[in-house]
Amino acid sequence: MNETTENYVELRHIEKSFGKFHASKDINFQIPSGHLAALLGPSGSGKTTILRMIAGLEQPDSGEILLNGKVVNKVPGSQRGIGFVFQNYALFRYMTVYDNIAFGLRVKKAGRTEIDARVKELLKLIDCEGLEKRYPSQLSGGQRQRVAFARALAPRPQLLLLDEPFAAIDAKVRLELRTWLRDMINRLGITSIFVTHDQSEAIEVSDQIILTNQGRVEQIGSPQELYDNPATPFVAQFIGQSIPVEEYTQFRFFRDEGPESVAILRPEFIRVFKKGEQQQYSTSAEEGTVEDIIFRGSSIEVRVRIHGVLLSAVRSVTDQPVEIGETVNVFIHRMYIINGETITLQENQSLRSESIVI
Amino acid sequence: MKASQARQKKGPFAWFLIILCAVFLCVMLLLPLIYILITAFRDGLEAYLEAVTDEYALKAVSLTLRVTVISVVVNTLFGLAAAWCITFFRFHGKKVISTFIDLPVTISPVIAGLIYVLLFGRQSVLYPFLQNHGIKIVYAVPGIVLATIFVTFPFISRELIPVLTAKGTDEEEAAALFGAGTWTIFRRVTFPHIKWALLYGVVLCTARAMGEFGAVSVLSGHLRGKTNTVPLYVELLYQGYDFTGAFAIASLLVVMALIVLVLRSVVEYKGNKSDDSLK
Repeated sequence: MNETTENYVELRHIEKSFGKFHASKDINFQIPSGHLAALLGPSGSGKTTILRMIAGLEQPDSGEILLNGKVVNKVPGSQRGIGFVFQNYALFRYMTVYDNIAFGLRVKKAGRTEIDARVKELLKLIDCEGLEKRYPSQLSGGQRQRVAFARALAPRPQLLLLDEPFAAIDAKVRLELRTWLRDMINRLGITSIFVTHDQSEAIEVSDQIILTNQGRVEQIGSPQELYDNPATPFVAQFIGQSIPVEEYTQFRFFRDEGPESVAILRPEFIRVFKKGEQQQYSTSAEEGTVEDIIFRGSSIEVRVRIHGVLLSAVRSVTDQPVEIGETVNVFIHRMYIINGETITLQENQSLRSESIVI
Repeated sequence: MKASQARQKKGPFAWFLIILCAVFLCVMLLLPLIYILITAFRDGLEAYLEAVTDEYALKAVSLTLRVTVISVVVNTLFGLAAAWCITFFRFHGKKVISTFIDLPVTISPVIAGLIYVLLFGRQSVLYPFLQNHGIKIVYAVPGIVLATIFVTFPFISRELIPVLTAKGTDEEEAAALFGAGTWTIFRRVTFPHIKWALLYGVVLCTARAMGEFGAVSVLSGHLRGKTNTVPLYVELLYQGYDFTGAFAIASLLVVMALIVLVLRSVVEYKGNKSDDSLK
């Protein structure tokens, strides 16, 4: 797959404004061949604009877009070798599934037998054999998405762009499709970029996340990197189920990092123990009161008030159940401290001197 | 079952409304229509045929048909172009354009006629130029065509714009990304969406073009056999106390209107059916 260039997609200093709205500010990133990248960010962060510029549906004001090592700014979208899956699929409503998938090949004046073979192959790939005579309106949401996927793939693009591919599908099918799409893209080995505002989607599906905010790229990295080493305060707050806490110094064993600093706590940083439950850090834990219990199916989210702050923690379904109003022991492993534009990870200091405390 | 039972049971209020509508339609539409036919045939079938096959009558009918065809073709092209640019492009003055398209609906046709008389008539600065090039607009067929186009031009674009706006542009973008040309995109992607709306607009436009009186009256000059359309000819006969003739010709307009009405229903029915099957 990497026989041509390392990076299939590269954006250099891309700027784009719509009137007074500055949609892209100095966008730089690279996506290696065969990778599945996610453009993640809150709505209005400029992620769709980036995707549309790569597709040639919008022109950047300045900067360069490189595909396969070549600057393509002046190449029309139809000649960039891309497949595009639109947010609402934009299937041709008045064409059958077959004609939809065949459209790109027909426009390129491919032979009848070649078209037929390719459409049949794709129908098999997306598991929609027998549906070729249906119209898009006669398909389920998941089938529509798969047809849109097949239609984009039909002319054999080198790059697949997907704009919010799961947004229009109900929750249950969405999870199935995520896995399906990931497997499919891995199998085909096609470089792909998809836009999403849903971090769990980006984290589960992609090799690489490009996190955008207010027209800027905040951080680029693997899902794990974004989780473990957030580069900016925005990333720390956006990724995970983050709760900002201003008066974090009231928790024991955490250093004060200055008057303006704010702590970010995530459920996975916090352990909740029943009184008398066997626990590791008994002496350095603090007491809190359970305010709410939310059953999540595979886990239980416990909301605990401690020093006047409401924190979320996760307990296993096999743990002894806690009750609302119960006093529990809470141990905070670590927290991110944001001080202006810098961000640091602070471990619970009792962990370092564990031998003494225990 | 309950709903249909409730619908079948008509209270006094429902009866009141039904009777009100029926009486209104009878007085306002049916009665005049019957009266037209009765008056048209009052002097017998022969007189009717004579009036209808009169040389000037035939010329008027032919002129009306020609004017209608030209206006409908021009307005179809204009309507498509206007609807296309308003829905697919972002540009300054878009609001202004879409407001101006509706202008003929709100302006009195007589005023529209006067505008053209002032613009192309003897008082106009353009007149010497037109005269030198042998172009006659006022009191001639081109003037009638212009007036008819002016009065009917919103009909098609106004049908198309809502359909195109509701549809969005992403199907066209998708087709363009495959490398499809503008004509292919229009023919294969856009046109199927607007087919019925366009046909409906054409039907409405035809009906209006055939019946236009005010603007045409100002511009035509009422030259018998030359610039008299059917509605103008009816008026002419009426002013000359030829009631049989006037109503006979009027009955022709009624027949044309009925044909259009039937077409309209067919278009609406087919359009709804094809939309339902694809929803």
